[in-house]
Amino acid sequence: MSGHLLHRQPILRTPDGIGGALPALILIALFFVVPVVALLLRSVTEPVPGLQNYAILFGDGTYARVFFNTFLVATVVTAVTVIVAFPVAWMLAIMPPALGSIVFGIIILSMWTNLLTRTYAWMVLLQRTGVINRTLMDIGLISEPLPLINNLTGVTIGMVYIMLPFMILPLVGTLRAIDPMTLRAAALCGASPFDAFRRILLPLSLPGIAAGGLMVFVMSLGYFVTPTLLGGTSNMMLAAMIAQMIQSLLNWGLGSAAAFILLLVTMALYALQLRLVGAKRMTGGI
Amino acid sequence: MKLILTGILAGLLAATAAQADEMVFTSWGGTTQEAQTKSWAAPFEASSGIKVLQDGPTDYGKLKAMVEGGSVAWDVVDVEMDFAIKAAKDGLLEPIDFNVVPKADLDARFTTDHAVGSFYYSFVLAWNKGAVSGEPAGWADMFDLTKFPGKRTFYKWSAPGVIEIALLADGVPADKLYPLDLDRAFKKLDTIKSEIVWWDSGAQSQQLIASGEAAFGQLWNGRVFALEQDGADVGATWNQNMTAADVLVIPKGSKNKASAMKFLAAATSPKSQAMFAEASGYAPINTAAKAEMPAEVVKSLPDAYVDGQINLDMNYWAENRDKIAERWYAWQAR
Repeated sequence: MSGHLLHRQPILRTPDGIGGALPALILIALFFVVPVVALLLRSVTEPVPGLQNYAILFGDGTYARVFFNTFLVATVVTAVTVIVAFPVAWMLAIMPPALGSIVFGIIILSMWTNLLTRTYAWMVLLQRTGVINRTLMDIGLISEPLPLINNLTGVTIGMVYIMLPFMILPLVGTLRAIDPMTLRAAALCGASPFDAFRRILLPLSLPGIAAGGLMVFVMSLGYFVTPTLLGGTSNMMLAAMIAQMIQSLLNWGLGSAAAFILLLVTMALYALQLRLVGAKRMTGGI
Repeated sequence: MKLILTGILAGLLAATAAQADEMVFTSWGGTTQEAQTKSWAAPFEASSGIKVLQDGPTDYGKLKAMVEGGSVAWDVVDVEMDFAIKAAKDGLLEPIDFNVVPKADLDARFTTDHAVGSFYYSFVLAWNKGAVSGEPAGWADMFDLTKFPGKRTFYKWSAPGVIEIALLADGVPADKLYPLDLDRAFKKLDTIKSEIVWWDSGAQSQQLIASGEAAFGQLWNGRVFALEQDGADVGATWNQNMTAADVLVIPKGSKNKASAMKFLAAATSPKSQAMFAEASGYAPINTAAKAEMPAEVVKSLPDAYVDGQINLDMNYWAENRDKIAERWYAWQAR
């Protein structure tokens, strides 16, 4: 099996010049690098020069809690997304291509629907007087409305729904590349379906899970809209806290420091992803 | 990046606004801004020929970004009064030219060197009649989970109101509220924290109460008035109603300052204030406005419920805004 990998030829060569990429590079420099530097400067100059903003962020229990919440939500969302996405990706991988592309289309279509619309739809479904609670109470399954919104449950449901395509897409790529004969071979050798999954399919799909998982995790870390609308104040995440510092407290030094920390964490995770999975796999080449 | 983008967009907007005889008015959206557009902007456009563009919602972060970035896209902004006092101190606002804006009849409580009143309002206790059995009589009932079970909704942002409500409910006399005993207030709020749903916009407060998602809550009286007009099944009590005010300010560096001053003069005139009060249920800040209003409208305004009314102390809040906000958000996040 490793034989044909060794003989694979690189299809794309690294381009020699960067001329064609220049407009994009200028755009990024102007609208990303410059503001990030400004952000960093603000975080160490407002209200007075020094590292006091970082000291406040790391020294205060409230902010520690928000950091913890942010990682908790991102972890839970990533874990649930992997579990929900895997069967879908597997189904897509083994489906006849014609049917598969229809299902694929539906998944992609959901990504094109406005984020706010989708989140508000969840509010209507999940609130105490919402469709889900009303139905469950009408058929007598529960007597009190379930707390599905303004808490971690609401945030998880809303965010997993939004993150699913980002998990499914890389996973399908990985799963399609797995030779189905390996599973047949496992069955022939006496492995139960669960064993075949655990010892063959899962290890082989790990690169896809890692790529999708890290993408979902990193996106979740900075998420704003869904946690704000579906979560309560006690599961506040970093992005909402930054918005509060900038908009409400007008404490831009502190807000910039928090934003810079979020950026650093995100970039560290991205670097980790590059090392673990490799840039080629992340960008789609298997 | 957002700030720079905002700055550039603001610059573009300001550039287009400066070209013609135009100005930009920014408020909080919803039924309130609709009433402001109809009662203030429309007659002003007709009489002055200056076009008033509507923007919103008010965002203090954006306001600060515009002033500091030197590209101010908003000419008149509706803000909470405690913010205005603080912002004036921070140098974010233009002083009002009282040669253009007649001051004589303006309610002195809501007029400063850098702001004129927009309207004033009361926080009242409102409830969904289908979700509450009995009638809550005052703020203390919002803290009585046995007598009045169910979710209660409060204003999410750190602002005059909720702290005072907690202290009143805990037995602090209305004339002894200030300086605010924050420890005591947060301890009282802790007792109902799990039952609180926060609203962050007037429209959301209406939706929560009208749907019964929250059984009762602290609402702006104008929003309750609008719900009643729509025939929603809501009750409200004016007992212990708490007044606060919105004011109109001009951000420092406004490109259409002269038009903005004229707009302020028009918006605070007795006639405009009367029209707005009639449309919104909020009280006029021009003392001559009442003469222009039908008697039954006058009866429905906070002015008619001064018995037991509490004036939230805007100067205290302006002075302590940051300190309280820090504790408020830390407590919320717990």
